[in-house]
Amino acid sequence: MTPPVKGDGMRGLSVFISDIRNCKSREAEVKRINKELANIRTKFKGDKTLDGYQKKKYVCKLLFIFLLGHDIDFGHKEAVNLLVSNKYTEKQIGYLFISVILNHESDLMRLIIQNIKNDLSSRNPIFITLALQCIANIGNKEMADAFAQDIPKLLVSGDTLDSVKQSAALCLLKLLRNSPEIMPTGEWTTRIIHLLNDQHLGVVTAACSLIDILVKRNPEEYKACVSLAVSRLSRIVTSTYTDFQDYTYYFVPAPWLSVKILRLLQNYPPPDDPSIKSRLNECLDTILQKAQEALKSKKLQHSNAKNAVLFEAINLIIHIDSEPNLLVKACNQLGQFLSHKDTNLRYLALESMCLLATSEFSHDAVKKHQETVINALKTERDISVRQRAVDLLYAMCDRTNAEEIVKEMLGYLETADYHIREEMVLKVAILAEKYAVDYTWYVDIMLNLIRIAGDYVSEEVWYRVIQIVVNRTDVQGYAAKTVFEALQAPACHENMVKVGGYILGEFGNLIAGDPRSSPLIQFELLHSKYHLCSPQTRCLLLSTYVKFINLFNEIKPQIQHVLKQENNLKSSDVEIQQRSVEYLQLSMIADADVLATVLEEMPSFPERESSILSSILQKKKPPSDLANQQQKEEKVEKVEKTVMNGQNYETGPKIQTVNNNNQIDLIGLNATPPSNKTQTVLTSTTPVKSDQEALLDIFGGPVPVVAATVPPVQANLDSLFSDTFGVPTQRIASPVQEIPQFIPILSIQDNHIQFVFKNADILFENESIKILSKCEYKQNLARLSLTFMNKSNFVYQNFSVQPILGNDSIRVLPRPLDSNVLQSQSQLIQILNCECVNDFSQLPQVLVQFSCNGTQSRFELNLPIFLNKFFDPAQMDSQTFFSRWKNLGNPGQEQQKIFKANYPIDKDRNSQILVSFGWSSLSGIDPNPENFCGAGIIYTSTQQYGCLYRLEPNRQAQMYRLTIRSNKESISKRLIELLDNQF
Amino acid sequence: MIKAILIFNNHGKPRLSKFYEHYSEDMQQQIIRETFQLVSKRDDNVCNFLEGGSLIGGSDYKIIYRHYATLYFVFCVDSSESELGILDLIQVFVETLDKCFENVCELDLIFHFDKVQYILQELCMGGMVLETNMNEIVLRIEEMNKLEKSEAGLGGSQSKAITAVKEMNISNITQKIKDIKLPELPNLGSIKLS
Repeated sequence: MTPPVKGDGMRGLSVFISDIRNCKSREAEVKRINKELANIRTKFKGDKTLDGYQKKKYVCKLLFIFLLGHDIDFGHKEAVNLLVSNKYTEKQIGYLFISVILNHESDLMRLIIQNIKNDLSSRNPIFITLALQCIANIGNKEMADAFAQDIPKLLVSGDTLDSVKQSAALCLLKLLRNSPEIMPTGEWTTRIIHLLNDQHLGVVTAACSLIDILVKRNPEEYKACVSLAVSRLSRIVTSTYTDFQDYTYYFVPAPWLSVKILRLLQNYPPPDDPSIKSRLNECLDTILQKAQEALKSKKLQHSNAKNAVLFEAINLIIHIDSEPNLLVKACNQLGQFLSHKDTNLRYLALESMCLLATSEFSHDAVKKHQETVINALKTERDISVRQRAVDLLYAMCDRTNAEEIVKEMLGYLETADYHIREEMVLKVAILAEKYAVDYTWYVDIMLNLIRIAGDYVSEEVWYRVIQIVVNRTDVQGYAAKTVFEALQAPACHENMVKVGGYILGEFGNLIAGDPRSSPLIQFELLHSKYHLCSPQTRCLLLSTYVKFINLFNEIKPQIQHVLKQENNLKSSDVEIQQRSVEYLQLSMIADADVLATVLEEMPSFPERESSILSSILQKKKPPSDLANQQQKEEKVEKVEKTVMNGQNYETGPKIQTVNNNNQIDLIGLNATPPSNKTQTVLTSTTPVKSDQEALLDIFGGPVPVVAATVPPVQANLDSLFSDTFGVPTQRIASPVQEIPQFIPILSIQDNHIQFVFKNADILFENESIKILSKCEYKQNLARLSLTFMNKSNFVYQNFSVQPILGNDSIRVLPRPLDSNVLQSQSQLIQILNCECVNDFSQLPQVLVQFSCNGTQSRFELNLPIFLNKFFDPAQMDSQTFFSRWKNLGNPGQEQQKIFKANYPIDKDRNSQILVSFGWSSLSGIDPNPENFCGAGIIYTSTQQYGCLYRLEPNRQAQMYRLTIRSNKESISKRLIELLDNQF
Repeated sequence: MIKAILIFNNHGKPRLSKFYEHYSEDMQQQIIRETFQLVSKRDDNVCNFLEGGSLIGGSDYKIIYRHYATLYFVFCVDSSESELGILDLIQVFVETLDKCFENVCELDLIFHFDKVQYILQELCMGGMVLETNMNEIVLRIEEMNKLEKSEAGLGGSQSKAITAVKEMNISNITQKIKDIKLPELPNLGSIKLS
């Protein structure tokens, strides 16, 4: 083909492009490119200096090669060199190359920034624009730092050309995305907001984009944009299409700008100012009305532009969500679109209706279109549209239409596109659960769901089915019957086997009366699926079998036979092997009572919203939903993460995940605290010891295979008792509320403050621990005994109390504990010897640690030792008191506080407080009999400090004045602090 | 925000790619391939919006595209953009190209890949709409051309030459984009080219 020749004469480039195009194969193309690359490399390295045109040509060739998908690892320097050129075309190519190819971390960045700076300060607007475009393309942190000042100035300056202003606005926006700290505030705010009033609509459009991101960063700062935006919108909406000339697009005035403004307003709640609010509502109403008018052109562009504005207006109406009139109008408009011939409009109408369905005002209006939406699900050719229909059906579903919608969705599921099936399964599962009145309906739907789309039924879904069946006694018989029937299908999904196995294991007895579903038939039916199932399902079935032994003693031989089979007893799967061995032993050794206790029906699961399901669904919401609630989405995702972390997502029952609590509760040995250590259980002295030993005896028999793989006896206990049917307990609903679980203590609020006036009391108490403190003092020494009482049914292991270092003024020496195990309902006493080295205000602390049930508790405890504890009261007469008082008159030695009485002024009470504080309350010393005076000596290892006080009540004002003098400022201060608020 | 603007032909050959967020070259190529696969298997009269791209932006990501003759024009956007607005923007882009190249065809995009980039720079910047007024964009491009010519010192009759080539050549690639009046008669756009 003849290559067209470019006017400006880059002939070499055209030739090269033609050559590439003429290449018959990929190899030939690569060969030609490599030849060219080698050529350019030589030219760039060569001795001859290249002129601007040559550089431009080669850089342009490199760019072309890059755009074909080849790596370019040279030529950057030459491209940057082009920036220095005074020729526009050379500069332009240089900038283009940098924008397209250059890595953000290029070492040429400083050079580039310097060139951009030069161009920005040029008088030539076309150079400024090139520079701005480059900043907008790269927009990294370095650029943000370099241009954070210049660009806002360009943006608001009166001298700047409109086109440059437009670029500057978007350039600043780009920089803000990566460097939020350059956010313009203060005087810039107003000037930027006022761009919304600019004459040039292009500037307004660009400014609108910028303001949108600024508002998202700091809504308060940019609040003033609302009224300007509304009036701008109003001027556009009420104009005729001739008013804006070039900004009228196919008879629609400024559609892009309208859309931008409508988006901007969605950042704020409806305006407070009634006049702005009504103006906005008028605008929205006008837009809705215009939608009803006849089209001004048959061109698609006209209706597109018109509807772009309309849909955005509807989004804003939904966002405001307080104008029922507008909401219903919007809904009717969308209803018309649902059957429009343009697929795009049907798609968007479904999407927007999804939002409308969540508003209380328009939910019912949306429901009117149910049939059309169901029809869309069935007849739309486009999967994008069908998906929107599914979303909308989900959103409009409520108690009144749930049955029909669920039925339709189930029907669609059979033919649904593969990649949306899982999501649909979740939606059906959630709707069925949420709106189930009759739980037989729920069971039917869920089993159908597994039948139709078993592969897409995630664990969470079938766990949930079991949870609900277990919790609702009214549906258990029906569920057993239905799964029994479902399992009779020749090919049935493994998830069905799981649900069936579990339900029959629990409730098979409810249908065993019917000869068609006798115990043996149930067992044989389940076992006919056994060999087709994964190890995980087999494990579950083994548990069902052992439960059958308990439910139907008559089929025990058949079950034992299965357990004894080689492929179970010697299965290569450890879990299957272990279960077979253990269940077999259990069935042989344990008597009926023990069996009945061990294999008792599962207790109800805690009732609560299925958080996993809803959170998973949240994530899959259509993005349009999320647009208005990005923050919500983030939250949801966080929540979801925590949910995920909190749950064990490994498939299949696992010994390690078993919680000790289950075991105890299942066997009904509540009195024995569970323990991580075998010894504790074995040496436990609780009254149920004999039972427990009996149980342990079951495993006393030789179980060599298991012992080899899982050595500790405890592991056997765990796996057997707790995991018999523990799978869903572990995964769906953690048994936290169900069975008392030890919650580790990580911090506490103790009552130390009340110890200022007493020496013994409860320091802390909660449901699992109680701490008593008792202290004796002698001069600068103290002996503190802390009594820790374990109030729970758990054993606290590795119990320790350690002083926290760092407080040099008071030395704490713990005596060794008698034991580091704190048994349930018993106590440990920790003695601490303390020495007051110096006066102090910070309380000494100890770190209390222990482990319980695999959780670690660790908290700091304040020792209730206060400075006043080291007081010795001093008796003296009036003369001595006042002479000493005067001696302590240096600045700082006296501290005084005037405060309001907290209690009625009572002389006896006050006197008592002062005495229990540790110093004397001397009577007859102060000339005013109402006043209190007293003295005390504080003992520290280094020194003794005399302290005097005077407390002067004012009954009329209900005030006190407290004055304390001592020979150390810090002591006076501390004593005031301690007495504050006590009178 | 517009994350990327891609043009590729019916065989997936990229004719223009512009990314407004940083992606490695490998990733860029992957995005182009994935987008082509998603878009090319769709009929021409289904809707112009599409979800399911996995490489950009996760769930908050939509592909909005138009198929003109031999070329797909694809805008990859997040949910902050109006779908119909972007659809119109694509139309403005194409109409602008048409004005600048006088009956634009795929060949123009190949030989003037740099110029296409410049035109795009007048339309979008940093992932946002910069200018929607076609006359204004064309005016700026014309100014650019004038400068170019004056710098080259040639009054070359570039456009005439190209037009001549186009008239001579009957290959698919010179099929005038504008001739396929897709927006009005969407069905014609589905002409399958080998």
